[in-house]
Amino acid sequence: MGVDRDYKCRVVKPDDFSEFWGSVLDELALIDLNVDCERDELRSDEKITVYQVFYDSLDGVRVSGWYTVPISNSKELPAILLVPGYQSDPPIPKDWSAKGYACLSVNPRGKVRSRSQFDPGYPGLLTHRIIDRNTYSYRGFYADAWRGVDFLLGREEVNAARIGVAGSSQGGGLTITTSAMRKEIKAASAGAPYLCGFMDAIELTDTYPYQEINDYIQAYPDRVEMVENTLSYFDGISFADQISCPIMVNLGLQDNICPPETGYSLFDSIGSENKKLFEYDGHGHEAGRYVHAAVIDQFFDNHLKD
Amino acid sequence: MSENRPLDFGQFWYSLGKELNEIPIGAETEILTIRSTDFAELYGIHLSSVGPYNIYGYLSVPKGDGPFPVIYYVPKNASVLEIIPQGTSNQIRSRYITFSLACRGMRTADSPYSAMYPGQLTDGIDSISTYVYRGIVADTLRGLDFLLTVPNVDKSSIVAWGNDIALIAGALHGSVTHIVSTPSFLYDSINQRLKTSTYPLEEFNDYLRLYPEKEKKVSKILAYYDLRFHAPAITADSLIIADHEGGLHDEKTLSDLTENMSGPVTVRTSERSSYRDGIFTEEWLTEKLFGQEAVPLIPNHWK
Repeated sequence: MGVDRDYKCRVVKPDDFSEFWGSVLDELALIDLNVDCERDELRSDEKITVYQVFYDSLDGVRVSGWYTVPISNSKELPAILLVPGYQSDPPIPKDWSAKGYACLSVNPRGKVRSRSQFDPGYPGLLTHRIIDRNTYSYRGFYADAWRGVDFLLGREEVNAARIGVAGSSQGGGLTITTSAMRKEIKAASAGAPYLCGFMDAIELTDTYPYQEINDYIQAYPDRVEMVENTLSYFDGISFADQISCPIMVNLGLQDNICPPETGYSLFDSIGSENKKLFEYDGHGHEAGRYVHAAVIDQFFDNHLKD
Repeated sequence: MSENRPLDFGQFWYSLGKELNEIPIGAETEILTIRSTDFAELYGIHLSSVGPYNIYGYLSVPKGDGPFPVIYYVPKNASVLEIIPQGTSNQIRSRYITFSLACRGMRTADSPYSAMYPGQLTDGIDSISTYVYRGIVADTLRGLDFLLTVPNVDKSSIVAWGNDIALIAGALHGSVTHIVSTPSFLYDSINQRLKTSTYPLEEFNDYLRLYPEKEKKVSKILAYYDLRFHAPAITADSLIIADHEGGLHDEKTLSDLTENMSGPVTVRTSERSSYRDGIFTEEWLTEKLFGQEAVPLIPNHWK
């Protein structure tokens, strides 16, 4: 089956999109970050210090993360916000710090160490209270990730003008929304982006996690319109025109989880004039990771380091 | 330095099996309507394991007449329990009974023990009796005990699918006829850890960096789980996905496993493409269970 590179997803950005997310940001701004950042003796080594991080987010949810810093006296470190996949457990990002970055690997609500107050589970997160944009799980989930930028801005060892965001799969989708909503982001790398073109993806694939939406619609067939309306506020494609920083997107042309058609449609919608697409034929959801890793390193070196 | 096979290796695992047999399976079943389809029903299954400890799995059963072959997705070194692995065509549930199990510590089996990731791999590693993997192996075997009680299971076609634990399941439970495994953390772990700084093996590095005096003890405990020492007991027809050449668990490295397994073994060197490796795996399994003419059930973008 060939991939249609001109594919256009059907999502329409709602007229009150900016108003909706503006009110979320306003609400978030009233919440003290209340950071707890504690050195993790077990995970630290002679080159990298690992911290367990907690901060407050929407609805009073305490969000966790792993923060790693190369051992140095620099007060000008470039930084990466690493955003996680859907089901995978957020990693301790020692590999980023080995390359000279301070790095926060955030665990938004419902993930390991951030699930005591909110935990719709897996499967479950993708459709949790999906009938209303004000109750949908990803309203808080997105905000939790965006707050990671505030954490980095508050670190004295981080150069606030050199913060990037990276992730793949759900991390790719979160990279899109974060770089759209937080202008402090200076460079972004999104791999195999999930959460983009939801309503197309559920027809293009028959695999989980998008299958969760099909399951929901099968159970509640009268709610299709409500589901589509909610998702239009959360679709990465609706955010994409607000991205202005340099950004790369990599796709696997045989991606069986996040269909490449949705990736093309997303890329076309990105507003940045400095955007580049990498297509990996013969690759699935890993989207050429083993080749592309070096491309990502070079990209962030160019944009976040001297 | 590599450990030898512990002298009481057989006794250790026999004792665990005996302890498990004394605990009733205690299966309790609930239908999960929202995840059921035109072609398969999904059930949530509660089981008892050693401890005693309550574990949980997702059982999908095709509609229609059986018997059906089984794919048993064994517990993972990760928190999330999937119905079928992410990216697998949901249609697979029309052909196979699938069963995925959360061992102790994973979501849905995390009361009272909620594992951390990373963290699970060294939990209780102070002692052979407290190391969490003793219970995890028991949980895995309990899943197979349960499957043998499920109506319409084709007992000549039970596939254990996963990473290292799939091989241990094959070694310790006679019901496993086929194995699909990607070894990643229980093959000569005490030495393999030294070649990497990535998780999950980095967990052992973290632990022994903080407690260097415990290396000998940890090495002895891990020997009970070392795939090399389980290899002779594995009689199932097996597919081993090895890392790319030069990778941590490449074909050459794994030879002490693959050359000592008692059943037929196919070693696939990963092309570092989930598409190419995935196609190979689905074709291998389909041919083994349904013959050369059968068509694998693969996701749309692999067609």
